Amino acid sequence: METIFVLLPLALLIAGIALALFVWAARSGQFDDLETPAVRILFDDEEPRPAEPEFLPPKPPETAEDAPTRRDPK
Amino acid sequence: MTRLRDGRLLRSAPPACAHCGLAVPESLVRQGEANQFCCAGCRQVHALIREWGCDQYYRLVEQQGGTLEPAKVTGRDFTDFDHPGLQAEATEGVAGGRCRTRLYLEGVHCAACVWLVEKLPSAVPGVAEVRLNLGSAVAEVTWEPSKTRLSEIGRALDRLGYTPHVHRANRVQEARRTEDRASLVRLGVATACAMNLMFLHGALYAGESSGMATPYETFFRWLSLAVSFPVLVFSARPFFQTALSGLRHRVVHIDLPVAVALAVTFASSAWNTVKGSGPIYFDSLAMLVAALLGARQAQRGAQRAALERADSLRGAAFIEFARRLEGEGAGVSAVEVPVSALEPGDRVEVRSGELLPVDGIVLSGRSSLDNAVLTGESGPVPVREGDAVSAGATNLGARLVVRVEAAGERTRVGALLEIVQQALAHRPPLLQLTDRVARRFVQALLVLAAVTGAAWLHRSPAVAAERVVALLVVACPCALGLSVPLAVSVALMRAARAGIFVKNPDALERLRHVHTLFLDKTGTLTEGKATVTRWAGDEGSLELAGAIEEESSHAVARAFRLALGRPVRVVRDVADVREIPGKGITGRLGGRTVSVGNRALVDAAGASVPAPLAAHAEALTADGLSPVYVAVDGRVAGVGGVGDPLRPDAAATVSALRRLGICVRILSGDDREVVARVAAQLGIPEGDALGGLSPEAKRDVLASLAPRRQRGGSVVMVGDGVNDAAALALADVGVAVHGGTGASIVAADVVFTREGVAPLLDLLVGARRVRAVVARNLGFSLVYNVAASAAAVAGLVGPLFAAVLMPVSSLTVVLSSSLARTFGRVPGAGAAARTEA
Repeated sequence: METIFVLLPLALLIAGIALALFVWAARSGQFDDLETPAVRILFDDEEPRPAEPEFLPPKPPETAEDAPTRRDPK
Repeated sequence: MTRLRDGRLLRSAPPACAHCGLAVPESLVRQGEANQFCCAGCRQVHALIREWGCDQYYRLVEQQGGTLEPAKVTGRDFTDFDHPGLQAEATEGVAGGRCRTRLYLEGVHCAACVWLVEKLPSAVPGVAEVRLNLGSAVAEVTWEPSKTRLSEIGRALDRLGYTPHVHRANRVQEARRTEDRASLVRLGVATACAMNLMFLHGALYAGESSGMATPYETFFRWLSLAVSFPVLVFSARPFFQTALSGLRHRVVHIDLPVAVALAVTFASSAWNTVKGSGPIYFDSLAMLVAALLGARQAQRGAQRAALERADSLRGAAFIEFARRLEGEGAGVSAVEVPVSALEPGDRVEVRSGELLPVDGIVLSGRSSLDNAVLTGESGPVPVREGDAVSAGATNLGARLVVRVEAAGERTRVGALLEIVQQALAHRPPLLQLTDRVARRFVQALLVLAAVTGAAWLHRSPAVAAERVVALLVVACPCALGLSVPLAVSVALMRAARAGIFVKNPDALERLRHVHTLFLDKTGTLTEGKATVTRWAGDEGSLELAGAIEEESSHAVARAFRLALGRPVRVVRDVADVREIPGKGITGRLGGRTVSVGNRALVDAAGASVPAPLAAHAEALTADGLSPVYVAVDGRVAGVGGVGDPLRPDAAATVSALRRLGICVRILSGDDREVVARVAAQLGIPEGDALGGLSPEAKRDVLASLAPRRQRGGSVVMVGDGVNDAAALALADVGVAVHGGTGASIVAADVVFTREGVAPLLDLLVGARRVRAVVARNLGFSLVYNVAASAAAVAGLVGPLFAAVLMPVSSLTVVLSSSLARTFGRVPGAGAAARTEA
């Protein structure tokens, strides 16, 4: 049972490290905005695609039939 | 007769705008194009989004359930952003020779905006990083001055439909952020320590019943002392500070009994630890601190949403830039500069639809100005060469050149906003109900402690001391301290969902007894814009009239454009347009002669007025609207009433407020006759409707009521304009309606995000319910305290009893607060107003 004299302070030390990390995070402003990061993570990391060539010249009526403005998920 | 409800005519199945999804007017449909647009702004924004390859944006908006509005593109060149003075104020250098600037973006609506705005670095070379905060709509842009300019970034954001405004760091916001972080750290430390103390004490409680060897017990007790030490000296510091400053001002604050209990608990427990015997209460102490800090943090969090937007507006100037004319003769050019860079004598250009940036004299141009925001006048004011104009008015008509007399803070509107800031800084804090209860509480506790000490002294001084300490520990008003912040934070969150943002929770307490409620007229009781409200006759002729009026800059023309809900230009070949001052406008369109104007104009054109239309016109005049006749080919085809209509919920809301026993009065800068007519429509006695008031006079009316407050109940001001801002700040509770100016939002305690004045009723009813919840919470916590004190006096209280009682009493208050229906589906007020309307 004597081991508790070592283990308990050790456990408290680990808890203290976790607390110090929290204090650092809070002081460096990581909890300032609780709303945006929650939605930012929803976006895929897709790079924007380069402009489609059909956009640059004025669109001829027949090819512009159904320009995919909202890309199909499939 | 067609009634134009929200000023729009609807047609059957037109194509949807490829950007915002609104119906595209027939006249704007371009044959053979896959994408149709409702306006030039949407076309531009859509093109840019595609050019950047960011089409995904539309899918994201759909996913996020956001709704797009028609895009607003100012087309400014933002060269004022590059002005050295402005950059010094708003830009800070960061590592690697980069700069960081904060921009407040208008038009941020949902998560998809975060995605799009943060894609800026891949589209604009030289932008390193963009972080957009959805709550405050402030984007932090990191950019390289060697590769790009801030004006470039401004233009890119503008073309995306987010009008950028330079956001200056302001002291209020900085202070709040520092305090937010500090209180979060305090809460974190207290909670972590409380959890660990619970484990340590759990072992001690178990040891008490099953036996524990002394070395272990001593070890655990000393560890508890060590762990609770940071809670007392770090986390609990605000309680001691407030208690002390309260004592210095001879005010008993709820923090005083808390601080006393904390000090006594810690001192006695520490002494017992050193001594090696006697009860220790470290776990109760830490839990108490964590619970109280947690409740206060919840209240901060609930207030945050309302405060963030207001702070963003506080950081952005009301008037930011002016187009200064530089050079002489043919070489003259207009350059956008910050208003702070203007000198008296400079010439500035003001285009149609822009705010006047300065106080000055018109040098050239004729136009009409909309002063509604500034003075409350609902009608447009014509201006010509030599007239004096004030900053903050909107130029409705043609381009004006103005000689600068005063700019920035030296303008009249600048001085007005200065008053607002001062009034906000000097508002007395409200003595909360709990503070009044706390005072009695402390008195009762002192008496009880003395009685307990005296009663147990016959046993031994040690026993007496132990009993008194136990009393002070369990009588700590934990639930009492929780009752207000919890009830308020739940109410604030519910209110925000119901379209009511409460910036200052004191407002809820003050709204319990309202004596007088002042309503602004233009923009608050009314829509604030002249529009064609009632139309009788042929609908086709209304469209013809709109097309003709497109050529005019007159206010009636704007009313017709608003009635159609869209521009009609491009298509039809309008010819021979002639404006007849004081009468109206005539022109030819598709081979037909169209005249739009007053009776004199159509009479002069020899047009006959059919009897039903003549009767309609008379009815319009009786209701205070100006009838406008539309004649097509020598026959009057329709009559519309042009005026600033009352909001649909105004009458029902006012009568409901009066039924609540509130004295409802109107405080308006508009013409006395107009105000009297509106008062009559709302059933407000004529003496209670004050018209023709300058912003300063409005402020004085509020200031003169100050001595009579407290006894008769609060004075509430409801408004939307810059001219209301000072009055809003001086009232006990200032309320800014939806769509109000930035100044009114900064000045007000409560901001509506729902259209109309009906939320006022929800607010008043909600405030009364919050009070009821607070009273119930206080009742619960007092019952606990009395029971616990009785047990302590009888000597029945040990550490375990205290440790169990504390969370149980707190939990009761938490449940009582979170189950309360304060705001939201209010069966009486809101619904009644809507059905009556």
